[in-house]
Amino acid sequence: MGSVKFQARLLALMLLLLGAGSILYQVFVQHVPLSQDEKDPVWVIDAQVGFAARPNKPVKVRMFVPPLGSGFTTLNESFISNNYGVNVNEEKGNRQVTWSSRRAEGRQYLYYRLMLTHRYAPALEVEPGPQFRQAPNVEGPERLAAEALLEPIRQHSADVETFISETIKRVNELENDNAQLLLGSDVSALNRARVVDLLLGLSHIPVEPVHTLRLAESQEQEPELWLRSYNGREWLYYNPVNGQQGLPEDRLVWWRGWEPLMKVDGGKSADMVFSVHRNEMSALQLAQTLRLKDASSFIDFSLYELPLPAQQLYRTLIMIPFGVILVLLMRSLVGMETLGTFTPVLIALAFRETQVIYGVLLFVFITALGLSLRSYLEHLKLQLLPRLSVVLTFVVMVMALMSLIGYKLGIGSGLSVGLFPMVVLTMVIERTSIVWEERGGSQSLKVGLGTLFVAVLSHLLMVWQPLSYFAFTFPGVLLCLAAFMVLMGHYRGYRLTELVRFRAMVDGDKH
Amino acid sequence: MFWSKTRKALRARGVMGINQRNGDYILRYNKRSLYPLVDDKLKTKKMAIEAGIRVPDLYGSIATEQGISTLRKVVDTHRDFVIKPAQGAGGDGIMVIADRFEHYFRSASGRIITQDELEHHISGILSGIYSLGGHRDQALIEYRVRSTELFNRISYEGVPDIRIIVLKGYPVAAMLRLPTRQSQGKANLHQGAIGVGLDLSSGVTLGGTWHNQRIERHPDTANAVAGLTVPDWEDCLALAARCYDLTGLGYLGVDLVMDRDHGPMMLELNARPGLNIQIAMDDGLLRRCGIVEKRLEALKGEDRPAAERVEFSKQQFAVAGVVPLETE
Repeated sequence: MGSVKFQARLLALMLLLLGAGSILYQVFVQHVPLSQDEKDPVWVIDAQVGFAARPNKPVKVRMFVPPLGSGFTTLNESFISNNYGVNVNEEKGNRQVTWSSRRAEGRQYLYYRLMLTHRYAPALEVEPGPQFRQAPNVEGPERLAAEALLEPIRQHSADVETFISETIKRVNELENDNAQLLLGSDVSALNRARVVDLLLGLSHIPVEPVHTLRLAESQEQEPELWLRSYNGREWLYYNPVNGQQGLPEDRLVWWRGWEPLMKVDGGKSADMVFSVHRNEMSALQLAQTLRLKDASSFIDFSLYELPLPAQQLYRTLIMIPFGVILVLLMRSLVGMETLGTFTPVLIALAFRETQVIYGVLLFVFITALGLSLRSYLEHLKLQLLPRLSVVLTFVVMVMALMSLIGYKLGIGSGLSVGLFPMVVLTMVIERTSIVWEERGGSQSLKVGLGTLFVAVLSHLLMVWQPLSYFAFTFPGVLLCLAAFMVLMGHYRGYRLTELVRFRAMVDGDKH
Repeated sequence: MFWSKTRKALRARGVMGINQRNGDYILRYNKRSLYPLVDDKLKTKKMAIEAGIRVPDLYGSIATEQGISTLRKVVDTHRDFVIKPAQGAGGDGIMVIADRFEHYFRSASGRIITQDELEHHISGILSGIYSLGGHRDQALIEYRVRSTELFNRISYEGVPDIRIIVLKGYPVAAMLRLPTRQSQGKANLHQGAIGVGLDLSSGVTLGGTWHNQRIERHPDTANAVAGLTVPDWEDCLALAARCYDLTGLGYLGVDLVMDRDHGPMMLELNARPGLNIQIAMDDGLLRRCGIVEKRLEALKGEDRPAAERVEFSKQQFAVAGVVPLETE
C-alpha cells in the first residue's frame, strides 16, 4: 500500500512537472501571452518619397529599408506606387528597394509602409565586425589638427570603448580650433560622424554609421545617426552628437554605411517624410497574423493550428476537466451529493446553449413536469420502460411547445433548445426518477438541488473567459489538473458533511 | 476553528470517513469481481446454502414476464412469504405477505393486495425499477422471517436486523437496526430506522442513533434501547465471520435476522456498508479496524479459523461496564 501511494505521488509529481514545465516553456520561451487581453504595441512606419520627375526620362528611385533581422517582428510590409516596378535586394546587411518606371510626369509619390512589433522577435544574432582597419591617408593641416586632437584622447582613455567616447567628446567641443578645422562650417551629425570616423581611422579603430528611426508617435522624423564599433564580443553604439552610449530599445536600424538613404535617378527635388504611429493589437491576434504569414510563432503545434470549427469544439472540450475537478471537489471534500458522477458537467455544458438563468428555469420546470407525469404514470401502474418512454416523449413535446410560444411572443432564439440540452434533460429526468424510486422524494430533491448547484458553479467556471483562454493556450494545465486528481485519489480525510454527520460522537466526548 | 477542531476530535476517536472507507477499505479489501456475489441476493443465497450458512428458505425465483404465471404455483403452498428484488438496494421493492384473505393477500401492515397488484409488483421488479442502475432483475420469493418477541418493546412493525461489520473475517462492529414508524417497517438507517450499538463480546445493546443523533429511547415505543441481550449471539458472530470465507470480501457488512423458530439467519451481504454504525456504537471504525489490521500483520497473512477470529474480536472489542437487563 505504501509503495502504491508513493507511486501515485510520483506520478502526480511527474504530471505536475510536465504540465507546469510546458506552461513555463510557453510563457518564457515562446512568449505566449498569459491573458487574452494582453496588448502589444504595433508600430506602423510610413515613409513617403516625393520627387519631381524629369519628363521623358526613365525614373529609378533607390531607398534603404530596414533589414530583416532587425530585432523586431515584421507583421506587414508594403511598397505602394503607381506604375512603378518594385524590386528589393539585399546587400552588405542592408536592404534596398528600387522603384523604377520608363517614364513619369509631374510630382511623384512613393510609399513604403512597415508594421513591426517586439513580441515573438527572434533573438538578434551578432555578426562580428572588423576590429582593425588601415589608417586613411590624410595630409596637411587636417593631419596636424587630427594629431593634436588625438593626443589628449590617447591620454584620457583606457581602452577602445573609452577611446571612442573621448573622441566624440572632443569632436563636439565646437570651440576647439582643431575640431573646427576638421568640421569646417558643417556641424551636421553626419559631418561630425565623419570627423569622428576619421580620427578613429587614424587610430585603426573601425566604426560604422547606422541610421536609426525612433519608434515613437511622430509625424515627421529624421533618421538619427549613430556610430557603432565591434569590440570582439558585441557592437557598441555611440551617438556622435552627444556621446550617448548604447542604442536605446526603441530604435530601429534602418540602414548602415555612409550611403544616403535615397538616390533618385531621373527626378529632382526629392524629399522624404517618415511618420510613426503606434497601434495596439492583442498578442493572440498578433500570433495569428504571423501564422498567416508563415512566420514561426507559438501557434505551431498548438491548438490554434486546428481549423476554426475544431478550435471552437476544443475550446469547450478542454474546459470539461475543470468542471470535472469541481465535481470531484464538491463530492470528495464537501460531500455534496449529485446525480450520477459527472451529470453536473453535462448539465453545465448544456447551459452553454441555453444560458444559465434560462437553463436553470428550464431544467427545474421540465424536470418537475416530467417527474409529476412520471408519478402519475406510476399510479397507472405502467412499467419502467414504457413509463420512461412516455416521459421522454412528453419532454420533447413540452420543449417544442415552449419554443413555439417563445417564438410567437417574439422572445426568439433564446428559447430554442438544442439537441444536446434535450438529451441531457431527459437523462436528468430519468436519473432523478430512479433516485426517487430508490431513495424517496426528499432525497431526490436534495440530490437534484445539489446537482443543479454544482452544475451552475461548473458552468460559470467553464465559461469564464480568462480560464478558457488559459486552458486552450496552455493545454499543459490539464496535466496539472490530472496530477491533482491523482492526489485526490488518495485523499482519506473527512468530507465537510461528515463533520456535521458525526458531530454526535464528538459532543459525547465532552461529558 | 470549528472545522479543524471537529476534524481533530474525530481523528482522535478513530472515526472513519467515506473517503477513507472507499479508498483504504473497500478498494483495498474488496475485489470488484466479487461484487456480483453480494449484489445479487439469489447468488448470495445459493452460495450460503452450499456452505451451510442458515438463510431464509427460497420458495422460488422469477426471471421473466412469462414466469410470473408460475407465481400462483409457488405461493399456493405457503400462507406467508416475502417478495424481493434480487439486486435491490436499501430495502426497496420488498413486499411482505403475512396472510391470505379469501382470494386476496394481506401485507404485513394489514393492507389488502390483489393477485394483479402482486403480479404488477413482480413485473416492476423484473424491469429493474428497484435494482441498482435500473438493470433487469429477478424476483425472489422466500420465507417470511418472524421476529422474536424480544425486540417488540423497541421496534415498530417490520423485522429488526443485526448488522455486523467484518474485516478480513474478524467482526469489528455490530448494531441492531430497529424499524420505526418513519422507516415504514424497513431496517435501513437512512430511511429513518434507528441503529443500536451492540457489545461485541456479549451481544448486549448499547446506546442508539437516529438521523445521526444519539438517542436513548425508541421514538415510537419510548422504551429504553440499552441493556437488551441478543439471543444466540455466539451464533451471530460465527455466522458473520464465516461470510468472509464464503465471499472473500475483506470488508463486509453482514445483515442477520433473528427468527423466532430458526434463530439467526443471514439475510444479505453488503460490500459497501454504511458508517452510521459508528454513531450507534459510539466508537470509531478506524480505531477498531486498526487493531485487526495490526493482528493480521502479526499473523503475516496466515488464515485462522472463524472461531479463533471471533474470540479475538470478543476480547478486543468488549465494552466495559455493560449491564444486561433481566428479561422476564
